[in-house]
Amino acid sequence: MPLTVSLFGQLSDITGSNIIEVENVIDTNSLINNIKERFPLIKDNKFAVAVDKKIIRENTLLTEQSLVALLPPFSGG
Amino acid sequence: MEKKPKNIFISGPVPAAFVGDSIQKHSTKTDIGAHSIFLGQVRDDVIEDKKVMAIDYTTYEEMASETMNEIREAIFQKYQLTCMHVYHSLGRVKVGEISLFVFTSSKHRKAAIQACEETVERIKGELPVWGKEVFEDETYHWKENS
Repeated sequence: MPLTVSLFGQLSDITGSNIIEVENVIDTNSLINNIKERFPLIKDNKFAVAVDKKIIRENTLLTEQSLVALLPPFSGG
Repeated sequence: MEKKPKNIFISGPVPAAFVGDSIQKHSTKTDIGAHSIFLGQVRDDVIEDKKVMAIDYTTYEEMASETMNEIREAIFQKYQLTCMHVYHSLGRVKVGEISLFVFTSSKHRKAAIQACEETVERIKGELPVWGKEVFEDETYHWKENS
Protein backbone atom coordinates (compact mmCIF):
# COMPACT_ATOMS: atom_id res chain seq x y z
CA MET A 1 0.00 0.00 0.00
CA PRO A 2 1.45 3.36 -0.94
CA LEU A 3 1.73 6.07 1.63
CA THR A 4 0.63 9.57 0.67
CA VAL A 5 3.05 12.36 1.60
CA SER A 6 2.20 16.07 1.52
CA LEU A 7 4.88 18.60 0.63
CA PHE A 8 4.82 22.35 0.92
CA GLY A 9 6.65 25.49 -0.15
CA GLN A 10 9.84 25.04 -2.14
CA LEU A 11 9.63 21.24 -1.74
CA SER A 12 6.51 21.10 -3.91
CA ASP A 13 8.40 23.08 -6.58
CA ILE A 14 10.91 20.23 -6.70
CA THR A 15 8.38 17.39 -6.81
CA GLY A 16 5.98 19.29 -9.07
CA SER A 17 3.08 18.41 -6.76
CA ASN A 18 1.83 18.93 -3.23
CA ILE A 19 1.22 15.21 -2.87
CA ILE A 20 3.40 12.24 -3.74
CA GLU A 21 2.98 8.54 -3.11
CA VAL A 22 5.76 6.43 -1.65
CA GLU A 23 5.81 2.62 -1.65
CA ASN A 24 7.33 0.15 0.80
CA VAL A 25 8.46 2.34 3.64
CA ILE A 26 8.19 1.33 7.27
CA ASP A 27 9.48 4.41 9.02
CA THR A 28 10.29 8.07 8.45
CA ASN A 29 14.00 7.43 7.77
CA SER A 30 13.27 5.03 4.94
CA LEU A 31 10.60 7.40 3.64
CA ILE A 32 13.02 10.34 3.53
CA ASN A 33 15.71 8.23 1.85
CA ASN A 34 13.21 7.08 -0.75
CA ILE A 35 12.11 10.65 -1.50
CA LYS A 36 15.71 11.92 -1.67
CA GLU A 37 16.55 9.20 -4.20
CA ARG A 38 13.61 10.13 -6.38
CA PHE A 39 14.07 13.89 -6.01
CA PRO A 40 17.79 14.54 -5.40
CA LEU A 41 17.27 18.32 -5.27
CA ILE A 42 15.37 17.83 -2.00
CA LYS A 43 18.75 17.18 -0.34
CA ASP A 44 19.63 20.86 -0.74
CA ASN A 45 16.63 21.92 1.35
CA LYS A 46 16.04 22.10 5.07
CA PHE A 47 12.75 20.60 6.18
CA ALA A 48 10.97 19.12 9.17
CA VAL A 49 8.86 15.95 9.08
CA ALA A 50 5.36 15.88 10.55
CA VAL A 51 3.55 12.64 11.35
CA ASP A 52 -0.12 13.01 12.19
CA LYS A 53 0.29 16.80 12.27
CA LYS A 54 3.12 16.79 14.84
CA ILE A 55 6.74 17.49 14.02
CA ILE A 56 8.89 14.48 14.86
CA ARG A 57 12.54 14.61 15.89
CA GLU A 58 13.42 10.92 15.72
CA ASN A 59 12.81 8.06 13.35
CA THR A 60 9.14 7.12 13.61
CA LEU A 61 7.31 3.97 12.52
CA LEU A 62 4.63 4.55 9.90
CA THR A 63 1.37 2.79 9.12
CA GLU A 64 -0.85 3.06 6.05
CA GLN A 65 -2.94 5.57 7.96
CA SER A 66 -0.06 7.85 8.91
CA LEU A 67 -0.40 11.44 7.78
CA VAL A 68 3.08 12.43 6.67
CA ALA A 69 4.13 15.91 5.60
CA LEU A 70 7.46 17.51 4.76
CA LEU A 71 7.63 21.09 5.97
CA PRO A 72 10.26 23.62 4.84
CA PRO A 73 11.09 26.47 7.25
CA PHE A 74 7.96 28.44 8.12
CA SER A 75 7.51 31.97 6.86
CA GLY A 76 4.08 33.10 7.96
CA GLY A 77 3.18 36.43 9.47
CA MET B 1 -13.60 33.70 27.55
CA GLU B 2 -13.42 32.79 23.87
CA LYS B 3 -11.40 29.63 23.53
CA LYS B 4 -13.38 27.71 20.92
CA PRO B 5 -11.46 26.56 17.81
CA LYS B 6 -11.71 29.02 14.96
CA ASN B 7 -10.59 29.24 11.39
CA ILE B 8 -7.90 31.91 11.39
CA PHE B 9 -7.35 32.06 7.63
CA ILE B 10 -8.81 34.63 5.31
CA SER B 11 -8.38 34.84 1.58
CA GLY B 12 -6.25 37.81 0.52
CA PRO B 13 -5.24 40.80 2.67
CA VAL B 14 -6.77 41.81 6.01
CA PRO B 15 -8.72 45.02 5.20
CA ALA B 16 -8.12 48.01 7.48
CA ALA B 17 -11.91 48.30 7.91
CA PHE B 18 -12.00 44.73 9.25
CA VAL B 19 -9.53 45.76 11.97
CA GLY B 20 -11.66 48.80 12.80
CA ASP B 21 -14.84 46.70 12.96
CA SER B 22 -13.09 44.20 15.25
CA ILE B 23 -12.21 46.99 17.67
CA GLN B 24 -15.77 48.35 17.53
CA LYS B 25 -17.25 44.92 18.37
CA HIS B 26 -15.46 44.99 21.73
CA SER B 27 -17.28 48.09 22.97
CA THR B 28 -19.94 45.85 24.54
CA LYS B 29 -17.31 43.95 26.57
CA THR B 30 -17.05 46.53 29.27
CA ASP B 31 -14.71 44.61 31.57
CA ILE B 32 -11.91 45.12 29.03
CA GLY B 33 -9.43 47.84 29.92
CA ALA B 34 -6.72 47.22 27.34
CA HIS B 35 -6.34 45.99 23.78
CA SER B 36 -3.10 45.10 22.07
CA ILE B 37 -2.95 44.77 18.30
CA PHE B 38 -0.23 43.52 16.00
CA LEU B 39 -0.47 44.00 12.26
CA GLY B 40 2.00 42.37 9.90
CA GLN B 41 2.42 44.27 6.65
CA VAL B 42 4.06 42.98 3.47
CA ARG B 43 7.37 44.79 2.95
CA ASP B 44 9.04 45.61 -0.38
CA ASP B 45 12.29 43.80 0.31
CA VAL B 46 14.90 43.83 -2.44
CA ILE B 47 16.49 40.43 -3.08
CA GLU B 48 19.29 40.19 -5.65
CA ASP B 49 18.27 43.53 -7.18
CA LYS B 50 14.64 42.52 -7.54
CA LYS B 51 11.87 44.18 -5.58
CA VAL B 52 9.14 42.13 -3.87
CA MET B 53 5.67 43.19 -5.02
CA ALA B 54 3.55 40.63 -3.11
CA ILE B 55 3.65 37.51 -0.97
CA ASP B 56 1.64 34.40 -1.85
CA TYR B 57 0.78 32.51 1.34
CA THR B 58 0.01 28.81 1.58
CA THR B 59 -0.52 26.59 4.62
CA TYR B 60 -0.90 23.03 5.84
CA GLU B 61 -4.33 23.90 7.12
CA GLU B 62 -5.13 20.82 9.24
CA MET B 63 -1.87 21.14 11.14
CA ALA B 64 -2.09 24.93 11.35
CA SER B 65 -5.53 24.74 13.02
CA GLU B 66 -4.25 22.31 15.64
CA THR B 67 -1.10 24.33 16.24
CA MET B 68 -3.07 27.56 16.58
CA ASN B 69 -5.42 25.92 19.08
CA GLU B 70 -2.43 24.80 21.14
CA ILE B 71 -0.94 28.30 21.06
CA ARG B 72 -4.28 29.81 22.02
CA GLU B 73 -4.74 27.39 24.93
CA ALA B 74 -1.21 28.07 26.21
CA ILE B 75 -1.63 31.85 25.97
CA PHE B 76 -4.95 31.76 27.84
CA GLN B 77 -3.33 29.60 30.53
CA LYS B 78 -0.45 32.03 30.94
CA TYR B 79 -2.20 35.42 30.73
CA GLN B 80 -5.41 36.85 32.14
CA LEU B 81 -7.04 37.55 28.80
CA THR B 82 -10.63 38.45 28.08
CA CYS B 83 -10.34 37.44 24.44
CA MET B 84 -7.99 36.87 21.57
CA HIS B 85 -8.45 37.00 17.80
CA VAL B 86 -5.99 35.90 15.12
CA TYR B 87 -6.33 36.27 11.35
CA HIS B 88 -3.74 35.25 8.79
CA SER B 89 -3.96 35.76 5.04
CA LEU B 90 -3.75 33.03 2.43
CA GLY B 91 -3.15 33.70 -1.25
CA ARG B 92 -1.72 36.91 -2.59
CA VAL B 93 -1.09 39.93 -0.37
CA LYS B 94 0.49 42.94 -2.06
CA VAL B 95 3.21 45.16 -0.63
CA GLY B 96 1.68 47.55 1.89
CA GLU B 97 -1.25 45.27 2.68
CA ILE B 98 -1.85 43.45 5.96
CA SER B 99 -1.23 39.70 6.20
CA LEU B 100 -1.42 39.07 9.96
CA PHE B 101 -3.76 40.53 12.58
CA VAL B 102 -3.40 39.53 16.23
CA PHE B 103 -5.73 41.16 18.73
CA THR B 104 -5.63 40.48 22.48
CA SER B 105 -7.79 42.09 25.16
CA SER B 106 -7.62 42.06 28.93
CA LYS B 107 -8.50 44.07 32.01
CA HIS B 108 -5.04 45.59 32.21
CA ARG B 109 -2.40 46.47 29.63
CA LYS B 110 0.46 44.16 30.57
CA ALA B 111 -1.41 40.92 29.94
CA ALA B 112 -2.74 42.19 26.62
CA ILE B 113 0.66 43.44 25.40
CA GLN B 114 2.67 40.41 26.52
CA ALA B 115 0.11 37.92 25.23
CA CYS B 116 0.00 39.69 21.87
CA GLU B 117 3.77 39.64 21.51
CA GLU B 118 4.10 36.01 22.53
CA THR B 119 1.32 34.96 20.18
CA VAL B 120 2.97 36.73 17.23
CA GLU B 121 6.34 35.11 18.01
CA ARG B 122 4.78 31.67 18.26
CA ILE B 123 2.83 32.13 15.02
CA LYS B 124 6.05 33.12 13.23
CA GLY B 125 7.93 30.13 14.63
CA GLU B 126 5.36 27.35 14.81
CA LEU B 127 2.53 27.89 12.36
CA PRO B 128 2.97 25.87 9.14
CA VAL B 129 2.56 28.76 6.73
CA TRP B 130 4.83 29.57 3.77
CA GLY B 131 5.27 32.89 2.05
CA LYS B 132 6.43 33.05 -1.55
CA GLU B 133 7.88 36.49 -2.25
CA VAL B 134 6.80 37.41 -5.76
CA PHE B 135 8.87 39.94 -7.73
CA GLU B 136 7.63 42.42 -10.32
CA ASP B 137 8.60 40.01 -13.14
CA GLU B 138 6.55 37.19 -11.48
CA THR B 139 9.68 35.21 -10.54
CA TYR B 140 9.75 34.35 -6.84
CA HIS B 141 11.74 33.48 -3.75
CA TRP B 142 10.57 31.41 -0.78
CA LYS B 143 10.69 33.51 2.37
CA GLU B 144 12.19 32.19 5.61
CA ASN B 145 11.37 33.67 9.00
CA SER B 146 14.37 34.88 10.98
